[in-house]
Amino acid sequence: MADRIIFVCTLLLAGVYFWATAQIPSLELGDPLGPKAFPRMLGVGLLIAAAMLLAEILRDRKKAKVADAGVMKWERQHWIVVAVAAWTALYIALFEPLGYMLATLIFLAGLTGYFNRGRHLMNVLTCVLFVVISYVAFTKLLGVNLARGIIPF
Amino acid sequence: METLTHILNGFAVSMQPINLWYTFLGVFMGTIIGVLPGIGPSAGIALLIPITYGMNPTSALIMMAGIYYGAKYGGSTTAILIRTPGEAASVMTSIDGYEMAKKGRAGAALAVSAIGSFIAGTIGVIGLTLFAIPLTSIALKFGPAEYFTLMLFAMTAVSTLTGKSPAKGVLATIIGLMIATIGIDLQSGQARYTMGIPEFQDGVGFVVVVVGLFAMAEVLRGLEGLYSGTSAKAMKISGKLWLTREEWKRSIGPIWRGGIIGFVIGVLPGAGGTIASIMSYTTEKRLSKHPEEFGQGAIEGVAGPEAANNSDTAGALVPLLTLGIPGGGATAVMLGAFIMYGVQPGPLLFQNNPGLVWGLINSMYIGNVMLLILNLPLIGLFVRLLYIPQGILYPLIVAISAIGAYAINGSVVDLWLILMFGVIGYVFDKVDIPVAPLVLSLVLGGIMEQSFRQAMTISGGDLKIFYGSAITVILLVMSVISVLLPFIIPKLRALGGSGDPS
Repeated sequence: MADRIIFVCTLLLAGVYFWATAQIPSLELGDPLGPKAFPRMLGVGLLIAAAMLLAEILRDRKKAKVADAGVMKWERQHWIVVAVAAWTALYIALFEPLGYMLATLIFLAGLTGYFNRGRHLMNVLTCVLFVVISYVAFTKLLGVNLARGIIPF
Repeated sequence: METLTHILNGFAVSMQPINLWYTFLGVFMGTIIGVLPGIGPSAGIALLIPITYGMNPTSALIMMAGIYYGAKYGGSTTAILIRTPGEAASVMTSIDGYEMAKKGRAGAALAVSAIGSFIAGTIGVIGLTLFAIPLTSIALKFGPAEYFTLMLFAMTAVSTLTGKSPAKGVLATIIGLMIATIGIDLQSGQARYTMGIPEFQDGVGFVVVVVGLFAMAEVLRGLEGLYSGTSAKAMKISGKLWLTREEWKRSIGPIWRGGIIGFVIGVLPGAGGTIASIMSYTTEKRLSKHPEEFGQGAIEGVAGPEAANNSDTAGALVPLLTLGIPGGGATAVMLGAFIMYGVQPGPLLFQNNPGLVWGLINSMYIGNVMLLILNLPLIGLFVRLLYIPQGILYPLIVAISAIGAYAINGSVVDLWLILMFGVIGYVFDKVDIPVAPLVLSLVLGGIMEQSFRQAMTISGGDLKIFYGSAITVILLVMSVISVLLPFIIPKLRALGGSGDPS
């Protein structure tokens, strides 16, 4: 099942890529190939990959009929991945408005509070120390710019 | 003679206090990265690139190489004590290493990994020293057509030899090349596939892709494992950290053979450390008088693969340094680092900047000695890292990735890309699409397109240039063979009748 979805996605991707390639305006001056030729080759490469995938699907179907069933089954622990990704998205959205220190503190506190449950003191200490030390080390010592946000220093 | 002077001067470079310090820092961080699950050498090196910007390139590259080979030492510790390879290539070590730990011989397993890694690592660097010069003299004859076919060979080999399905490897390679076409086309000045996002005009940075695919995806997998309770607990080190005379006698053969297998596999594109250690394991099992002990805690099963995956790193640096073409994911990230420092690896580098190349190569002799010390008397220190609760470790990795990515351009777009590629990496892993080919082709994509177009300009649009010289023909034939190999090998095994299940 998973492989069939990949096959369809590959064809869709090839379609979108060919379309996007056609949108590139080109002036063929001194460059016999222009900016579109190599991408077109890649589009063809994608179709070749799709053909290879189809060959593998047909070969595997002969070999075993049941083996594929477990791969794409939605299990309960997949929700945790969705939740972590969503929490990270929120972190990124708040990264500049709140600033590195505050956003990272909230992000870390949430995750450690859930995944390292019950050890509050350890979690709070680690998060605060990490955020302060990393901010000072990167902005003051290494001269790396991290978003300041609403904190004035 | 001139080469010998360069090599000796390289020692002078690598012995400078500042470079000794960066060698130490590199192998120290490499050991930590190897021990910790969640962040491997590829992501570790990628994250360092923005931070080390503006550093002297020789020192920066010495440090990054240290992370690359140092991680292989650290990876075995996790494999032995918690049966999870801290680094992909340690997967074979986790079989017999963990069994030895269960029998109270964890000390011996750790000792043989460190000693085997040291001997093989040194064999690898000697090999690198010997092979670099002859290869550069061939590489000097390379024009755009030769480079294009060489990259084609590297990509076909990587895409068909990593992972279970050649089709998915090819798919990953093409996706990487497609990502590389995003941004302003260098020859026509035309913006391609930027989707109206101004940050995409410079292209999608490989650092964010690597950090997303390797670090962020690993965090998602790790937290999922933590939630479903499948993550393992670390064992205590048991037994003396040394080998008995009997164990030593059994290990020395596998270490030498593993060292040579690893180096040869490392030079070839595509295969890499994991395949080197599997080959060493099966070789030792075949040669052994007690093959039944393999899987039950045979020390040969730790010594050989650990040796192989260490000399592999030095082997992998041969094509990277002499030709400028990496043969796998981690060396592709190294190439990206070279380019970001304005250093183009390849034959000309040996002529124009011998101090950098030989300083880097010779620092590896010193680095291996440092690693032996870090991983034998001081191993107890690193083992403590395994007791850090993973519920704290994984969130910190995300924060560190965010710092590293934001430091490049000061743009949140890079953070979104990390998350996006993290999710992609997680899904790819679930459906068996390998990510190493994607990273390789992403880093090489730009150069590959340029050399293709230059070759076509030279030939006036005639494709004959790609099969016009002996080198291009050989490389094309090798590319075809590497595509066909996955289909031929099972047939040959069936004919021979002695298929090895591993």
